[in-house]
Amino acid sequence: MYICLCLGVTTTTVQQAIDAGARSTNQVAKACGAGSVCGRCKHTIRTMVVAAAPDPPGSKPDRLRRRWGRT
Amino acid sequence: MSLVLAADYRVPDFDHWWAAIARDLATLPGLGVHIVVVYRSLQDANRVFVTIGVRERGPVDALLRSPIMFAWFDSAGVDEIPPIFVGQIVEKLNLDPDTLEARPAATGTRSPGAVMVGAIAPVGRLDRLRASIHAAVPRLAASGVRRFWIYRALDDQAEVMVLQEIATERQAEQWIRHPDAAASFMAEAGVGAYPPLFVGRLVQTIKLPVT
Repeated sequence: MYICLCLGVTTTTVQQAIDAGARSTNQVAKACGAGSVCGRCKHTIRTMVVAAAPDPPGSKPDRLRRRWGRT
Repeated sequence: MSLVLAADYRVPDFDHWWAAIARDLATLPGLGVHIVVVYRSLQDANRVFVTIGVRERGPVDALLRSPIMFAWFDSAGVDEIPPIFVGQIVEKLNLDPDTLEARPAATGTRSPGAVMVGAIAPVGRLDRLRASIHAAVPRLAASGVRRFWIYRALDDQAEVMVLQEIATERQAEQWIRHPDAAASFMAEAGVGAYPPLFVGRLVQTIKLPVT
């Protein structure tokens, strides 16, 4: 899917930025540009950042927090 | 080949949006749009699933960043632009309940009362999904699935959008709770950027004049 319409950035590219260490929407924007123009896709980027975050120790795995589509 | 764009999102007020949609539709042929299909969620009256058929004219990036595209969301009052699936159809099945044979789906009106279940999800290997769906046709038909469309994403060969038309709301509910193994992709919907499964009814298929 295309996340950032302004720059044509896809979920794959955003995920690569997250995999490379981006932990916030600003860091994703710096890494690949997504969300850096109109900013109206930041909520989706935030969802992906949260989904990629590891579960706290001792917590049950939450399906919604899994990496998108790649467990 | 035509492109299909699809998005699952909420509008602040469906009735207000729908009453004013003609103005937005008038601008779409400028992008090569020839058909718009609108579905409305059964669970959330302001949630919609919109597919837009586009005759390929140029780069996808240019299409998506067009002011017309942004105006589509602006006039609906949608501030947060949803992820947009862009792909092409690879499978279109009509599951005939009498013969239980798969054949290319005919165009035309959908069954009244039918429910559409939409999923956008990664599937790994598309050829395996298609093979499993073909093998499961009798079971799908017996579960109430009447039509089945698979679209492959342009930007990710492992990502698909699957639209399933199911005969009744009750069968759709059963199908979602106890899907066939061939429909395991439904479990991937709602993860990360992917929208949750959409369950709704067709509002209207709008064919636009070609410019």
